[in-house]
Amino acid sequence: MRFQDAALDARAVVYAGIQADPLVAEVAAMLADANPAQRVLARAVMNGESTDPDAWRTMFPTLFADGADPSVRERSESILAVSLRVADRGEAVRSQFRGAIVESVTERLLARRAGPSVRRERRILFDGVRSEIHPYDVTIESAIPEAYDCKWGARGINPEVLLQLATARANAAAEGVDLAVALVVFDAHRSCLVRLARLRGAAGVTGLVALETLRGLARARPVPIPGVAGTRP
Amino acid sequence: MPPTVDALTARTTEALDAIALVAAPLDDEWQYVADLVAAWGARLTAVGTERRAEVVTPPIEAAVDRAIEEALLVADPHRAIDWLSTLPQVVLVALEERS
Repeated sequence: MRFQDAALDARAVVYAGIQADPLVAEVAAMLADANPAQRVLARAVMNGESTDPDAWRTMFPTLFADGADPSVRERSESILAVSLRVADRGEAVRSQFRGAIVESVTERLLARRAGPSVRRERRILFDGVRSEIHPYDVTIESAIPEAYDCKWGARGINPEVLLQLATARANAAAEGVDLAVALVVFDAHRSCLVRLARLRGAAGVTGLVALETLRGLARARPVPIPGVAGTRP
Repeated sequence: MPPTVDALTARTTEALDAIALVAAPLDDEWQYVADLVAAWGARLTAVGTERRAEVVTPPIEAAVDRAIEEALLVADPHRAIDWLSTLPQVVLVALEERS
């Protein structure tokens, strides 16, 4: 088993430009250390219509009220500001930004645990197996490797991505390698389980890192989802 | 008289039904939409039942009502699906509950 850079087709070149936008890195840096409520704030603002910051402050009294912890309030203001800048890019562009942001947050958190072995946009090749066309969003390329697919919302979870992850894990196992595979979804665990409940291929194979558990990426490998409906991480 | 938690969770579940109608044109996602409404509706109802008699403060009521207003601004079916998940999360944060 080995890793390889993804081919740079026209779409990949355009997307690489978005991934390299300084705003993506700025948002990702803030979200990597955000608390769960702040991540919900970022998700709501980047999904939202309103550009008035006061509207969002009203929606999140636990983050912005006078009695809120000053450090929490300060970080929440920063997250609100950068999230509004993403929202301000327009619907077509912001949807690409949101995906790139989830990937960047994932990379940052994994780097705290795995350092320079964390890579982006890499394919995994197995002996005697036709290679996948789509690269993995983020990988850890070490003796105990990991591969991640990142999604902004639970709706992005689909049979194809589950199959790709499960197949990679099985192919790695055939070569005696314990490859952890997981989804990172910037959405509620509950919504992810709703999505997964009607899809095959995740239970017992693929890990799930949802909005509530994002920072766990920095601590340990994700474990496969043991079941579906009603399961908490 | 200030509202109670169950009144706010009921407002939110009504809003989810309205957002689901916006998402309805996406035929391929009707099951997911229905499942989201059911799952989040159940979670909100559970919170409302557990804290039925609890009166909320004006900032919390304002937070929930403004979040519902924001969600109902969405006219695009794809974004409506995003809000079927996002709105309950915002409301639960306001109520200091886990998603």
